[in-house]
Amino acid sequence: MFEREEETVERVIQHLRRPVAIDAGLDARVMREIAQTPSQGRRAWPLWPLVAAAAVLAAVLFARPWNRNATSKADTLQFVLVAPQAASVALVGDFNDWDPARAPMQTAHGVWATVVRLAPGRYRYAFLVNGVEWRADPGAPAAKDDEFGTPSSVVTVGGRGS
Amino acid sequence: MGIHKVEASDAELVRRVRAGDTGAYGALVSRYRDRLGRYAVHMIGDREDAEEALQDSFVRAYRSLARCDDPARFGAWLYGILVNRCRTTGARAARRRRMFVHDAQALDGAAHADRADRLDWTDAVDRALTRLAPDYREAFLLKHVEDLEYEEIAELTGAGVSALKMRVKRAREQLQKYLREAEHV
Amino acid sequence: MILAALLLMTQVAAQDPRLERLDPDTRTAVAAVVDSAHGAGLPVEPIIQRALEGATKGAPGARIVAAVRRLAVDLGTARVALGTSASAPELEAAVAALRAGAAPEVLAHLRDVRRPPLTMALSVLADLVASGVPADSAAAAVLALAPKARDADLVEFRRAVERDIALGAPPGAATSVRLNAGALDVYGANSAANNPNSPRPRSRP
Repeated sequence: MFEREEETVERVIQHLRRPVAIDAGLDARVMREIAQTPSQGRRAWPLWPLVAAAAVLAAVLFARPWNRNATSKADTLQFVLVAPQAASVALVGDFNDWDPARAPMQTAHGVWATVVRLAPGRYRYAFLVNGVEWRADPGAPAAKDDEFGTPSSVVTVGGRGS
Repeated sequence: MGIHKVEASDAELVRRVRAGDTGAYGALVSRYRDRLGRYAVHMIGDREDAEEALQDSFVRAYRSLARCDDPARFGAWLYGILVNRCRTTGARAARRRRMFVHDAQALDGAAHADRADRLDWTDAVDRALTRLAPDYREAFLLKHVEDLEYEEIAELTGAGVSALKMRVKRAREQLQKYLREAEHV
Repeated sequence: MILAALLLMTQVAAQDPRLERLDPDTRTAVAAVVDSAHGAGLPVEPIIQRALEGATKGAPGARIVAAVRRLAVDLGTARVALGTSASAPELEAAVAALRAGAAPEVLAHLRDVRRPPLTMALSVLADLVASGVPADSAAAAVLALAPKARDADLVEFRRAVERDIALGAPPGAATSVRLNAGALDVYGANSAANNPNSPRPRSRP
């Protein structure tokens, strides 16, 4: 009886291990969806500036550890601002001493981007456009307690801090 | 003898995607589609929902590719995304199916409305799988069908190894029980 | 004796060259806040960052000093609410939540129902208020989700609520609708079903 039951389970396992054919059209659907939405799920852009931006990001994008059960490891995040008229955009915040020289952003077709590695924590930040104009991140929560009279945004990385 | 086409490794493809070659991601999708699809189909129990979960997982993996710890283990990382995604669908599908869980006949009717009423062994297996608690089914499939090590499963699911072993054991016991019941219908 | 004590007290701040971006008077006042916070066992990095933010933004020295003093006090309040084992990220997020209007009791309650780190849960609470949700609704929502939701679920909840508000829903209603609709259905709002590029429409029983 016991042996037979083990056999039953083995038969089940062999049955379940048989290949399952998934509709090959899924590949095309995935590629279409990737092409039409920006990597961080913000508003959709036409394809070509996105491809160009990706090429620009190639110089700055690097792989960093990411743990699903985030312990004390950092997250690599991409910050983006659409500012076609800007001559320069810097990302400043609690993670880089609010120093515009530390994270100048790269642009492709008016899409400014940079990548930053952040340890767990809550960070206020903003974009400094042309060295003079402060802009919050339209896609991020606002930093409500703004004591210096300019708009800021917030990004939070979960997981254990120090 | 013969010419072996040298396929790019996962790590190489991931590198290319990150360098801007979006098309290289298509190769990764093709590579993992059927294997991950198998897990999704058995876990979710509904082909359409499974394909939707699979598609979503591939897209999500692409969007967070920068966070893939070790590109050489892209497959395992992708599995984690899929396992997570299947849990959500499972919750939705379970709410729909809750009315039928104690009535095997009605469950059969709901899942295979247009089938002849001959009890096929494979149908019995599918029904038995559906009746397993989601975390038992998940652990069982990852261990025995997808051949992952307990340590890998622990990493994907966040559960401890001994808890997982217990779930797999329970899953086996319950499958035996349900299939025994099915024989006597 | 007093001079030696004073010199010792300013050790921490004096060692941080970043404060040299401040004018001397402001620097001295900020250094004093940093040192007393350090002495109280509070994290000093957020205080320094707040001063540097003010410096970069060209704020008057008095404003910078007021801001860092307020922050030091709030960090202390946060630590009382969360307990001495709270990490720096948790304390920073807690300050945001307190300033958003959450009562200290809410923070303590959160600590009781959720395993650390609480950073994301506190942050989401503050962010919900920032998008217009009344503080008590935001607190209630986060406390309801806190025991079981993962950090990613909380983030998705916040995004879903923000989307609803952007589409015109009254903020208080948006949270309760999302909560009751099974807010832990993480991918519900992002799934292919809501995507115009998704495959064939499906019929559901």
